[in-house]
Amino acid sequence: MRAHPVRLAAVAAVAVVVLAPLGLVLYQSLLNAPFFAPGAGLGLAAYRFVLADPDFRGAFATSALIAFGMVGIAMPLGGVLAFLVVRTDLPGRRWMEPLLLVPIFLSPVVLAFGYVVAVGPVGFFSLWLKALLGAVPWNLYSTAGLIVIAGLTHVPHVYLYTASALKSLNPELEEAARTAGAGVWRVALGVSLPLVAPALVFSGVLVFFLGFELFGLPLVLGDPAGILVLTTYLYKLTNLLGTPSYHLMAVVAVSIIAVTLPLVYLQRHLLRTASRYVTVGGKGLAARPLPLGRYRWVALALVLAWLTVTVIVPLSGVALRSVVRTWGEGVRVAEVLTLDHFHELMEYPNLVRGIVNTLLIGTLGGALAVAAYAGLALTSHRWQARGAVLLDYLVMTPRALPGLIAGLAFLWIFLFFKPLTPLRSTLFSLWLAYTVVWVAYGLRLISAALYQVGPELEEAARVAGAGQMRVYRDVTLPLVRFGLLGSWLLIFMIFCREYSTGVYLLGPNTEVIGSLIVSLWGTGALDLIAALSVINVLLIGAGLAVALRLGVRLHA
Amino acid sequence: MPELAVEQVVKRLGGTEVLKGVSLALMRGEVVALLGHSGSGKTTLLRSVAGLETPDAGRITLGDRVVFDAGRGIEVPPEQRGLGFVFQSYALWPNRRVFDTVAYGLILRRAGEDEIRRRVGEVLERLGLAALGDRYPHQLSGGQQQRVALARALVYQPPVLLLDEPLSNLDAKLREEARSWLRQLIRQLNLSALYVTHDQVEAMAVADRVLLLRDGRIEQEGTPQDMYERPSSAVTADFMGTNNRLSGRLTAVQEGRGRLEGEGFGLWGTLFSPIGVGAPATGFIRLERTRLAEGPGENRLAMRLETSLYLGERWEYLLTRGDLRVRAWGRSALPPGDRWVEFPPEDLWLF
Amino acid sequence: MTRRRWILALAATVALVPGLAPGQVPEGYPAAYKEIVAAARKEGKLVVYATTDSASAEPLVKDFKSLYPFLQVEYNDLNSTELYNRFISEAAAGAGTGDLLWSSAMDLQMKLDADGYAQVYESAEITHLPAWSVADKRAYGTTLEPLVIVYNKRLLPADAVPQSHADLARLLKEKAQLFKGKAAMYDAEKSGVGFMLITQDFLNWPQFWDLAAAFGKSGAKYYTSAGAMMEKVASGEHLLAYNIFGSYALLRQRKDPTIGILYPKDYTLGMSRIAFIPKAARHPNAAKLFLDYLLSRRGQNLMANQSLLHSVRGDVEGVATAATLTKELGDKLKPIPVSSKLLEYLEPAKRLEVLNKWKQTARSQ
Repeated sequence: MRAHPVRLAAVAAVAVVVLAPLGLVLYQSLLNAPFFAPGAGLGLAAYRFVLADPDFRGAFATSALIAFGMVGIAMPLGGVLAFLVVRTDLPGRRWMEPLLLVPIFLSPVVLAFGYVVAVGPVGFFSLWLKALLGAVPWNLYSTAGLIVIAGLTHVPHVYLYTASALKSLNPELEEAARTAGAGVWRVALGVSLPLVAPALVFSGVLVFFLGFELFGLPLVLGDPAGILVLTTYLYKLTNLLGTPSYHLMAVVAVSIIAVTLPLVYLQRHLLRTASRYVTVGGKGLAARPLPLGRYRWVALALVLAWLTVTVIVPLSGVALRSVVRTWGEGVRVAEVLTLDHFHELMEYPNLVRGIVNTLLIGTLGGALAVAAYAGLALTSHRWQARGAVLLDYLVMTPRALPGLIAGLAFLWIFLFFKPLTPLRSTLFSLWLAYTVVWVAYGLRLISAALYQVGPELEEAARVAGAGQMRVYRDVTLPLVRFGLLGSWLLIFMIFCREYSTGVYLLGPNTEVIGSLIVSLWGTGALDLIAALSVINVLLIGAGLAVALRLGVRLHA
Repeated sequence: MPELAVEQVVKRLGGTEVLKGVSLALMRGEVVALLGHSGSGKTTLLRSVAGLETPDAGRITLGDRVVFDAGRGIEVPPEQRGLGFVFQSYALWPNRRVFDTVAYGLILRRAGEDEIRRRVGEVLERLGLAALGDRYPHQLSGGQQQRVALARALVYQPPVLLLDEPLSNLDAKLREEARSWLRQLIRQLNLSALYVTHDQVEAMAVADRVLLLRDGRIEQEGTPQDMYERPSSAVTADFMGTNNRLSGRLTAVQEGRGRLEGEGFGLWGTLFSPIGVGAPATGFIRLERTRLAEGPGENRLAMRLETSLYLGERWEYLLTRGDLRVRAWGRSALPPGDRWVEFPPEDLWLF
Repeated sequence: MTRRRWILALAATVALVPGLAPGQVPEGYPAAYKEIVAAARKEGKLVVYATTDSASAEPLVKDFKSLYPFLQVEYNDLNSTELYNRFISEAAAGAGTGDLLWSSAMDLQMKLDADGYAQVYESAEITHLPAWSVADKRAYGTTLEPLVIVYNKRLLPADAVPQSHADLARLLKEKAQLFKGKAAMYDAEKSGVGFMLITQDFLNWPQFWDLAAAFGKSGAKYYTSAGAMMEKVASGEHLLAYNIFGSYALLRQRKDPTIGILYPKDYTLGMSRIAFIPKAARHPNAAKLFLDYLLSRRGQNLMANQSLLHSVRGDVEGVATAATLTKELGDKLKPIPVSSKLLEYLEPAKRLEVLNKWKQTARSQ
């Protein structure tokens, strides 16, 4: 179909909201002072400085190593996990799915801190093992530890996309392999996973991006060992010259984008031959789960091991910290138990507003974001043109901006673009920033759902006399409503957790739980942070439970 | 004036031309079948007429309304063409009941509630779906789904009905019944229809006229009888029926007849296209015209009967002579052995 | 005692002090102060950008509002870099910004003052303030918070508890086995506060680099957050942490008796949260009221006893006051003066030089 003006307008709108912050960052990188400073002049001095800085090179290498390591861990594990949960008779796969997603909605700082309490040098697991073995067999504060934890905690991202694609895979394809004599593992590796390669590759690229953008984990786990990554290097740049050096920070951001853009290209290239989306054959064909046979329990053990390391260990660390006065070496937990932190938290100013705002931005904001993503997904739906390619690049890039810089860029946009200024201190600014940063994520979720609607269902309505918009309203959207609800749920969780992007947009009336946690971090009230995180997890968990009970499926 | 006129339509997909300048005219009350292998461009042509594909060149006119003209930049969107379309997969909306599905086109045309009820009722009645109005698609059989799809396309009385392999998802037996039923329905309603199929029997049964498409061009068009009995090319001859194929060289020409000589055989046939003596030629003969004969005679070959296949209403024999393989039909089972096969010269078409 | 009880206690204290009646000025203020109050009433609103967390500031804001109930107070709690970024961006955009900037990043505050962002205001309380705490009637130090050594009482043997900076350097060397990887301090490269503190250290004590080297030799860990350091001292991952704000340490100690606090006997640095009113303030009069309140005896009393931010005034009594510190430390208490001298090490070349030296000593093992 032709490039409808609505489509062009949509691409233009995305281009504006995405390119405005990016362009600002790029422009800033070419200056020698803050862009708003009267004396700012053009030049490449910032590039020369940063590129010559051995710390930058080291941080860059470490970031790349971590990102690759994460992809290496998260992609295979996420793929296998998705196959096990979606396609096999793995015991307990029904209740497992919500648990698998927990790491997505846990704030990384809290997650990292949970690991410190649980398996740090004097964590309670570590001390227990030390008593048993005489030494702690791992070092949490190491690049290896960081890679393992970052890799494991990003498995859900891969899982999510792969599971969704697997669910829409025609089961006959697998059955054909089964009858040809392939065992379950051969089916997984030879048929199912290759068929969902587009989803796997996409999530791999996403994880790589997130690896470069990683901040909370390296801050808490890498700093003590002096491990510098690009985002913590940015932190350093804010202080290196006394006052924050925006031009230097911008150069780092540009260098990250420079790494990630070829990756989007690579992703497109890899998927050029493969059809972009798995097509649904015979909708409603209930796939019989593949029997794992004697591997059932091996598989269960694998999944449980992952769950233990990724969810149970950090969560138990956080939960434990929230009910003790102190902890660590030489402390008997039974003697320091207390509920004071929760009582104290109730007195904390703005807490209720923070929770309300968080829920608001998660539910209402999440719904609006899904609506925006859906609108965008629809305009680019079944569109094979250059504009669609452009869109692919556009939506991926904001994710490459580290939160620290994205936050500043959004502040500047709301400050210096006058029509937006009145909205700066409202939740809208926060919503816009979140929505832009997560656009690739949400768009992909929704397009995947959209592509499951057979094109002829839409064409039938068009020929019958419905205009394009009417078709979306009458046919497409009603058919993907479960997919939309599922996306909403995921966006809800992500928005509840997100913070760094909005750091400069938050005001006294717009605080969210994430900002309260950061403000507590400053004074070292980790007991309150732990209590707040427990509440946050409970809130999101409750939302998830309610939604699942109401029949919202996590996948389209 | 034709109800539908397609002129020199060209459509490129990727690097290849799927339609290379196709023209056709559909008169009022006429059914035209677009016949061809998959990839011949027939569905693309149909979708271009519906407005679901945008051709790169050419013109499409409905009655006196130009709905597409690449030269003048006219493109009427599908919803404004007012056509009826029956999809191969039926494309029934899984979330709508039969009644609502059929009523959709009328709702879009802002018909009143009473009128909708009346007209949907009529169509459902006519198609034998009256009792199924409250059902969802997944509660219907394949044949019922097919009729619902048809009802949806018919209810607003489109000037031209477009059917894309409407029967291909039905069981073989059901398909044959549906074929004649559909023909009868189209006749009774005096519809103009463009009918895409890859099945030449279906095309001949349903259509007044058949257009054979090959590689984006019209290979031949004509009445079913023309197409079947007077093919203008080897392609048409091959496509329209089940044939034996004999390859060889033309060695002599005499009163419109030619002699085809291949490896180990020589036969007289009718020249269907101008071929020079000495040029390579192919002979086609329908299976039903290939006969087993009692003994030697004119245009008969001695062949070996390898096996007989039971097809219910007839037997099919597989015969060989060197590399030459021929099939023929008969009424009884025959034991393997040497037989004579007759190729009547008027039925052996040379191209 | 939980914060709840503190707030209850506070409410009781506040109840004894009546709010200002309309048209009145605080006790001891010139009559002309009425005009500022009236102008503030017209402004109706006050926006504070501060690094003091809202929980600690809550009693102050509440009490201030009881004095001036017509003011709507918007208290923004930011970290010092965020505060700086946000302010200069907003000032450049000509958008609304904080009416009062109150930050513990003393050097950044003085930088903003030097760059001409601060306006002159002679506080009504100026006569009660120590001379070192006021710069040119623009920037005011509001607290005097000692920089302390925090240690783990449970795990650090009594003979290994340092009493002074020199002592700490000695112990790190002598008890190398004990302290291996168990000492913590600010990462001067990543933390602006950490950097400022080491410059003050070597200005006050020429042997500081020996201490830095001792830290490096012991395989010390470096942090950007005092919270993380104290948490790890409490858990025993580290045995002690150096240059921690006394106010945070007190707050933590209240809840967790594991934490020991030590005021170095050779010298104890005292830092001050600096407040000033930006020229870009939209509610300058309201800001004046709040600044005066912060510096008033009433405000300082609340700070010292409720918020546990050490008061800067000498005439306040209680747990965290300048008086208590002076009694304990005498002239070994070294307040970091609120002055443009703080700008010296914001100059890039000089800064990089110090950072390099820090890297060479503290980062090398």
